[in-house]
Amino acid sequence: MNNATQLEPKIFEPKILAYVCNWCTYLGADLAGTTRLEYPPNIRIIRLPCTGRIDFNLLVKAFEIGSDAVLVSGCHPGDCHYTSGNYHARRRWILFRELLDLLGFDLERIHFTWISAAEGKKFQQVVTDITEKTRKLGPYTELYAPAPTSIQTQTKDLSQPQPFQFQTFATEDQLRAAARQLLAEGTVKVVIGYGERGPLLATRPEDADRLVWNNRSTANLAMYLKRKEVKALGRPAIVIKACDERSLVVLEKESQFERKEIHVIGMACDGMEQPRCTNCAVRTPRFADTTIGQVPDRTPTVQPGKLDSLMELSRGERMAFWVREFDRCVKCYACRQVCPMCYCERCIVDKNQPISIDPAPGTKGNFAWHIARAFHLAGRCIGCGACAQACPVGIDLGLLNLQLARAAQKHFGYQAGVDPSAEMLIGAFSQQDKEEFIG
Amino acid sequence: MSELITETKLRQLAGEWIDGGKPVAGPVRIEQRALYQRLQSPEALLLESNSGALRPANSIKEFFFPKQETLYQYRLRGRNIELIEPAQEFTEQLIIAARPCDAAALPILDHVFNWDFVDDFYNRRRTATTIVTVACRAADESCFCTSVGLGPDDTRGSDAMLLDLGSGRYEVRSITAKGKALFSGKTETSKESGKAAAPPEVKFDPGKIRAFVDGHFEDPLWAEHGRSCMACGVCAFSCPTCHCFDIVDAGPVAGNARVRTWDTCQFPIFTQHASGHNPRALQPARQRQRILHKFSIYPEKFGEILCTGCGNCVRNCPVGLGVLNLLTEIQHGQHL
Repeated sequence: MNNATQLEPKIFEPKILAYVCNWCTYLGADLAGTTRLEYPPNIRIIRLPCTGRIDFNLLVKAFEIGSDAVLVSGCHPGDCHYTSGNYHARRRWILFRELLDLLGFDLERIHFTWISAAEGKKFQQVVTDITEKTRKLGPYTELYAPAPTSIQTQTKDLSQPQPFQFQTFATEDQLRAAARQLLAEGTVKVVIGYGERGPLLATRPEDADRLVWNNRSTANLAMYLKRKEVKALGRPAIVIKACDERSLVVLEKESQFERKEIHVIGMACDGMEQPRCTNCAVRTPRFADTTIGQVPDRTPTVQPGKLDSLMELSRGERMAFWVREFDRCVKCYACRQVCPMCYCERCIVDKNQPISIDPAPGTKGNFAWHIARAFHLAGRCIGCGACAQACPVGIDLGLLNLQLARAAQKHFGYQAGVDPSAEMLIGAFSQQDKEEFIG
Repeated sequence: MSELITETKLRQLAGEWIDGGKPVAGPVRIEQRALYQRLQSPEALLLESNSGALRPANSIKEFFFPKQETLYQYRLRGRNIELIEPAQEFTEQLIIAARPCDAAALPILDHVFNWDFVDDFYNRRRTATTIVTVACRAADESCFCTSVGLGPDDTRGSDAMLLDLGSGRYEVRSITAKGKALFSGKTETSKESGKAAAPPEVKFDPGKIRAFVDGHFEDPLWAEHGRSCMACGVCAFSCPTCHCFDIVDAGPVAGNARVRTWDTCQFPIFTQHASGHNPRALQPARQRQRILHKFSIYPEKFGEILCTGCGNCVRNCPVGLGVLNLLTEIQHGQHL
């Protein structure tokens, strides 16, 4: 027996999962093999058709099943077997990294590279580098680790019942008159508006008097445009504020309705004491068929908010914050249901063959769900805040969307639902998209 | 003569349990709301006298019927499947400062968890739990316990009840042996007697409601009321009595486990057949189901209304529905 080998300290052997495209990087790896290039055996390769088809959830899943680092690799720009899959992937990664950053994932453990079929040598180099780097970082024990976080919670007096109070706005009568006329003429079959206790679907001219317009009219009614129950009623008119109007712009762009099929009653709004109202610039809807009231635009003063304080925390604290928040999630899916942009016939979490998102409301299942929800809204969310407002356990889901909205603004100068003629962010690409993070 | 305990002693009591490794749950402040949660420390407990909280936005059912529960795990060995029993421990637990409308739900749920199948998980947690309620000091317009035969100091389901005497003191009324044991030696005798809030007004008569829903399966009212429902699970998941569940195979990522999770009749896929056919095709039918189950089907089967009038479905509904609005409409409308 050789005593020397026994005394040698045990070095950490990281597990690295690589998602590679079939046409370039996989062949590059193959070339590395056939040319007898040695590289560390720590990498496990999963071959997929194209980087454009690599679901973002797979990155998270890799960590959940015990990877210490992840590599995503595909064809160089211009080389994609499917013309532009890698361009689409690049744009998504730019945004996805920002979301993972907010959630406290370690971006040092997520690697993106372009490796062509001729670059066996590069494949060898990349795998060696990542293995070395991950070995230094050590095992990924930080994943979903709870810890004390210093984010303070707000306090509100909970000792007294909150009476149902509201303050009616002056234009309520005009709204009722417009709705009554539309229903009486038969121009529309239903007016989607606000009632005393919540949204009201008025179908008869006399229902118009039950419509209200007050400081509790905060919901984004565009959510009703996706509902089968509402579509079955016939042509709708929808009461919309300037902030919520942006969802109509996005939905129309995504071919969810023909603009001429709906009648938009735009309500000028001077704010409803909601958090988002402080950042609101446009106060009078711009594309309405009937506009009621007039409030001039203003330049908002953007105050640093909770997202900023969250981003100032350490990565570990951020993750701990979300572990704590998601721990309360019961998967009631109110966040999805009230979102005008969540209109899939069958949501990814409702698919069970195969299960791609753990349906149980545990830490993994909740992270997977909230990542999927937030990222499906990347470049689409208009920040109406309906998700956070609907959450029965008070998770501030809007933070995830806000982070992505800021990323869209920062990297692409894009704001969802503002310019109807602008090309959509996801589903498009530019050859100039940044790639300083891609090796 | 009555028994009295101070808030300090009460927190001490909770602290002793926590230190002894026995879980304690109670209302905790989370941002803008109160929620029942497992307490990390006795200071986290939100008590009426110091900072109020009308009632938590969730219910205590999750301490008996958790939102996810591993039934067993499995391991694939070639063509064989090996089943692994979960290492479940049903340690004694204490729920403190629950509301009477939460505690009252448990005797109602006992029926269904011991009906055609005796649910061991639920029963063992029931046995291991001591429930201390606090009589309500306020009611809001969504409260309707009195309409379903309960009240702000109803002791149904409680092992002991606290009644606020002000300045951090509570009258203790022990109801069961468990409750007596919990407070034995911790209280002092006093002449004072606590009083609950004035009960909320009776808003409907469940008998009338049942008669109506039984005879109006097809009624325009359902569509009128139910079509603005967004099909989320807020009402059911924050309800103390809703108890439907799904059983899912959480794959290798979750450790190859068969897990029971909450489910609700409000989800479209709840009744979706494999063929694609859905007997409750649209939301009004699902809303109707929820009302029928609570006020007609459950009473018929078990002789109890499946509702304690807590008002959570009303307060939490993102679109202002919940059972109360519809039931008052039935009570006062032209429908009877």
